[in-house]
Amino acid sequence: MTDIDFFKRLPRALPGLALIVLTMVVIRNWVEPWMTDAVVLGQKGWLIKVTHLNYILLGIIAGLLYRNLLFRGRIPALLEDGFKLSRLLIKTGIILLGSLYTVQAIVQLGAMAVLLIGGFVILSLVLVLWLGRVFGLDRSMTAVLANALSICGVSAAVATAPAVEAKASHVAYAIATILGFGILTMFISPFIGHALGLTDLQYGAWVGTGILNSGQVLAAALAFNPQVTPGSAVSVAEIWNIMRVISIPFAVFAVTLWYWSGKTEESGERKGLGTLLVEKFPVFVIGFLVMVLLTSLGAFGDVGIKGGPAASDTIKMLRLWMTWIFGFGLVGLGAYIDFKELAQAGGAPLKVGLLVGVTKYVLALAVVLLIRDYLVAI
Amino acid sequence: MHFGHILVALDGSPACAAALGHACWLARQGDSTLTGLFVIDTGWADFIGNDWQSSSNARQGFLDHIGREQDAQAQAARSQFAEAAAGLGDARFELAAGDPVRVLLARLNDPGTDLCIFARRTFQVSGRPSLKSAARALARHATRPLLLLP
Repeated sequence: MTDIDFFKRLPRALPGLALIVLTMVVIRNWVEPWMTDAVVLGQKGWLIKVTHLNYILLGIIAGLLYRNLLFRGRIPALLEDGFKLSRLLIKTGIILLGSLYTVQAIVQLGAMAVLLIGGFVILSLVLVLWLGRVFGLDRSMTAVLANALSICGVSAAVATAPAVEAKASHVAYAIATILGFGILTMFISPFIGHALGLTDLQYGAWVGTGILNSGQVLAAALAFNPQVTPGSAVSVAEIWNIMRVISIPFAVFAVTLWYWSGKTEESGERKGLGTLLVEKFPVFVIGFLVMVLLTSLGAFGDVGIKGGPAASDTIKMLRLWMTWIFGFGLVGLGAYIDFKELAQAGGAPLKVGLLVGVTKYVLALAVVLLIRDYLVAI
Repeated sequence: MHFGHILVALDGSPACAAALGHACWLARQGDSTLTGLFVIDTGWADFIGNDWQSSSNARQGFLDHIGREQDAQAQAARSQFAEAAAGLGDARFELAAGDPVRVLLARLNDPGTDLCIFARRTFQVSGRPSLKSAARALARHATRPLLLLP
């Protein structure tokens, strides 16, 4: 099957990347400022205040329109490689996001995140395994859905599939379900967050726990507050998200054990936790941790934590880059969403997906509101 | 009506058995050339958003897994065709790669194809979700005779 030959594909990616860069430049320099100044219903800035649209959501909408309207479901061959490559920028941006934290901040925030994320991962796993039995889902389908809904959407679904002998159709259903649900949450979360008057800390903890997919967590956090600084929604949400992503190999191991415990015949490939850790551990998390370490050692100067010295010029520059990199990546994320594919989701997997997704989303909000006094700011 | 060359889409599952049976019957009646076509769906990498930063093997491991599943389907389609088309004078099985709808459209709109036969649920065993609407896409864009079966 196709692998990614990064350096050979780079020149071919230029036309698509150029369109994405142009789109984001137009959005940030003309569309967003126009929306901020436009007088609608006698109120200046109504478009921004009411819709909560910022360059992040506008970028995703532009990507959605490119794929589903302008290109009628398929990105033209000339632009295809650039659009695919742009999605890499999301994870590249998350690596750079490591410059927002010091090891001390990670330990402070991470301890709470580990508790919350751990609790929600286990709860979701148990809920999906139970609902899978109630709805009579195939065991492989249940296993793929369990990890997709508990951890990190697409990454977890595809990491689990080979270990539980899942068929292509199982993974396709799981991905369509989680992406469909994720798109909805990505757009409504900023509204809910603002309506409830959540702080960046509360909002970040909520979406980092309740939204299923990494890219969508990032988009929802930046849609709430586009600032990329210590303590902003995105800095909190991503720590939560990374804690969840790290649990992929462990969850694959647990679900694989569950899957094989119910099988009578000995067949297929079974892997130990050590092998799964090497194979399934997300590479970008290592990059993120290296960045945190370098930041803690002062490699980029002062981070600009509240009450401390101002951020260094290098850190400021990195943060500016990140806003652009995330912007480009999220245009690519929008263009990855094919409504035709999502419309095919249905049946019992969709019911289980929605039940678990909504439960997790609402419960995460309730828990964050309950423990708001115990959440630690960085 | 005589069809010199009949093309039938196969996926090795029971879904296309009736289409294959009908294609063989027509080929026997008209002494036609019969081609059975299986398309390996190469759209999975894009569908799952494959990239090298996820992990050393998570997504590529999945693509290999799907690749094995599709190879098995291709083998099943080959056997299915060999069994159904036994005794036919001019029958061949072909393997192609790409987006199944696009590949099939290109083949069915080729002037060398006189009839394409497609069963509605073909390609759904190891295909992406959008292939559920393959029959509709073929019907909409076909410029040559197309026979759609349930």
